[in-house]
Amino acid sequence: MSNDSSIPVTVLTGFLGAGKTTLLNRILTEQHGKKLAVIENEFGEVGVDNQLVIQSDEELFEMNNGCICCSVRGDLIRILGRLMKRKDKLDGILIETTGLADPGPVAQTFFTDDEMRAHFRIDGIVTVVDTKHILQHIGDSPEAQKQIAFADVLILNKTDLVSAADLDQLEKRIHKMNSAAKILRAQNADVPLDAVLNVGGFNLSRATELNPAFLEPEYPFEWAGVYPLPAGTHELVIGHGDHEHEHDEGHECTCGHDHDHAEHEHEHGHEHAEHEDHDHNGHEHHHHHGNPNELDVVVMPVKSLDEKDIATARDAAVLTFSDWENKVKDGDTLTAGGTLHRLLLKDGHGHYKLQLPHAGNYLVFEGCGEEPLHIHVAGDTVKPVWQKDFQHTHSHEDAVSSVGISESGDLDGKKLNDWISKLLKEKGADIYRMKGVLSVKGSTKRLVFQGVHMLFDAKFDREWAGAPRTNTLVFIGKNLDRAGLTESFKACLV
Amino acid sequence: MNLTKHWAGTLDDYVIDLAWSPDGTQLAAASAAGPVTVFKSTDGAKLHELPGHDNGTNCLAWKPSAGATLATGGQDGKVKLWDTIAGQHTGTAELGSAWVEHLDWRPDGSILAASAGRDLVFLNADGSLRHRFKPAPKTLSAIAWQPKGGCLAAAYFGGVCLWDADDFIAQKEFVYGNGIHALVWSPDSKWLVSGNQDPSVHLWVPETDMELNMSGYEGKVKELSYDFTSRWLATGGGKDACIWDCSGNGPEGRDPAMLPHDTKICAVAFQHSHSLLASASQDGVLMLWSPERKQPLRATVKMPSAATKICWSPNDDQLAIGSEKGAVYVLKCED
Repeated sequence: MSNDSSIPVTVLTGFLGAGKTTLLNRILTEQHGKKLAVIENEFGEVGVDNQLVIQSDEELFEMNNGCICCSVRGDLIRILGRLMKRKDKLDGILIETTGLADPGPVAQTFFTDDEMRAHFRIDGIVTVVDTKHILQHIGDSPEAQKQIAFADVLILNKTDLVSAADLDQLEKRIHKMNSAAKILRAQNADVPLDAVLNVGGFNLSRATELNPAFLEPEYPFEWAGVYPLPAGTHELVIGHGDHEHEHDEGHECTCGHDHDHAEHEHEHGHEHAEHEDHDHNGHEHHHHHGNPNELDVVVMPVKSLDEKDIATARDAAVLTFSDWENKVKDGDTLTAGGTLHRLLLKDGHGHYKLQLPHAGNYLVFEGCGEEPLHIHVAGDTVKPVWQKDFQHTHSHEDAVSSVGISESGDLDGKKLNDWISKLLKEKGADIYRMKGVLSVKGSTKRLVFQGVHMLFDAKFDREWAGAPRTNTLVFIGKNLDRAGLTESFKACLV
Repeated sequence: MNLTKHWAGTLDDYVIDLAWSPDGTQLAAASAAGPVTVFKSTDGAKLHELPGHDNGTNCLAWKPSAGATLATGGQDGKVKLWDTIAGQHTGTAELGSAWVEHLDWRPDGSILAASAGRDLVFLNADGSLRHRFKPAPKTLSAIAWQPKGGCLAAAYFGGVCLWDADDFIAQKEFVYGNGIHALVWSPDSKWLVSGNQDPSVHLWVPETDMELNMSGYEGKVKELSYDFTSRWLATGGGKDACIWDCSGNGPEGRDPAMLPHDTKICAVAFQHSHSLLASASQDGVLMLWSPERKQPLRATVKMPSAATKICWSPNDDQLAIGSEKGAVYVLKCED
């Protein structure tokens, strides 16, 4: 959609007061050698002399059919059309939108209008987030969610006003919504300018910079912990210990793994103020998945706490979780290795025997991280020496999410074409951004694509050469069906 | 047919608008940066350099029929009137903060219509306000007086309104569900045509409320021109100048003539009272056509940069061309 002589356009979104103007003024000041034009909304207040600043009313050209995917920004076509009319070309355009603006029509303007396509290229959508206030908007504001979803770069601004824990929590949540964006933290929009300019967010050739590892995969389990255990038969307990025991433990959570979810089980015993805190961590609405009296558990031996060894055990567990479950009643025995145990609980409790032939480290995976899990060896509770929460496939509390797909193998070109056409026709309104690199049978080159709603650009890029032929793609959107997308994509493989 | 260079001049920036004075003795050219130059048409001498508008000039229009009154509109939200004999600024109308993007004189010279943002005004010939209309639903994107002078067509995203010249009421309102970039009337006032974002051209016969939509363009249509007989409508919107036959019930069901360029068309202009069409494309090529002939191409010239606007002199013997790099060329057209 662009050529080398096209003028880069950077779109700054974010709520009023998030810090867009601060960032804009910084860009204008630090890029003073360049001729930039700013298109700001009617409330804009850019105050840098000798710069071309044009106010716009964000006029939307909405089509008769009511399809948001067909809407473009009339004011941009008009203003950019006028800005083109210069003997000497501009070095760049910055568009500042109001907090209520939908970035979709802005991006679509540069896809659909032939003149805009020829003269400009959208370089990136930069969303500035006021970390202190975003949690108030994020849940009930489709605008805020969209601005996060559309972003190539997300700046968590004013980080000095929130605690490190809240910030981590927010970043995690935002990353779940948009896993393809670069997330930067800033206090006064003080991010390096090369992180917000020339990001190539819509550049097809740079769609290949999509790092599959960055698209944090999701797992069929929510929690895993490593326990060093001797050989023999031990007791595995699900649910709370008896009440006295719990009081003995006091605030310190040692009844099992002490991750966030487990704390929740104690909330009836906490002060009100602490309960309030939980409102911010995003887990308030978490519920047990499926039958509340079943818990899926896999126990995998793991050689060491080395990252590689844990990853090997984790991947083995992913496979095991897709296997048939082996139902385990209260008092029955479970074993380590490739078996999916479905523990049958009574009122959220259960006692099981864990039989281990060898001493060593064991990685225990829980399908639902809400359930306190204890392992007792000769009456003593063993604490996990390593533990981690995983993004569970069904744990989104936000309507907006990212679905990353990474599959090796070649695609059938026709099936792929049919699939994407059908998908965009049916789900285009809910898909905000998509990009990917695909391996199509019969072509020695990589197929790269990127798009906004129903519009997309695709082309055969460079040769795969020796690189492993694999497919990496990401969808960012609303109410995305991860399993459905993944399954239907896999069906396009040869 | 020969196209020969008569003279050339230069502006400090992109030639954003260009027009011959009604008597053909002067050529006014506005630079996108602001200044407006008045050239003497016989030799290209610069008669006046008018300051134009702060932040840039957008458009200019000569008062028809008599005298030497030039109106200009700019990014300062003003309409300015100039006496081009004396080189004097004679009046200003301040429309607001929005850019003045469109100007059009009623053919009898009695009213100057100007639009800025969603606002439309009728000004008297001295620049005083005659009428301010209620704001349009969206930014006004084109205005055009009916050649008979009875009404002004004003387009915005969503439609076109015909405003009565005398009592300022809406005679008609035509709905069109897309962006409109240009308007033109056929010289006989029968057809009103819009060039659209979707991309298409839409034709109305306001008298009978008949309408037609001609689609199939590569890109949005911003270039429109009617020939003096009102039969042929030339349009841009792609690499071909596309000519529709508007005789009888109009172009529906008829194949247009396609006059090919190598790159996208950026301007089309029929002569005022003869049948030649000039078309220009992004690569700087300008071609002359006789669309009714079997071999329609009559002449080709190439300029160093793309044309922004082409205008025939009132007697049709000279063609003025403004360019992206600020050059103004005047070519003589001889058989």
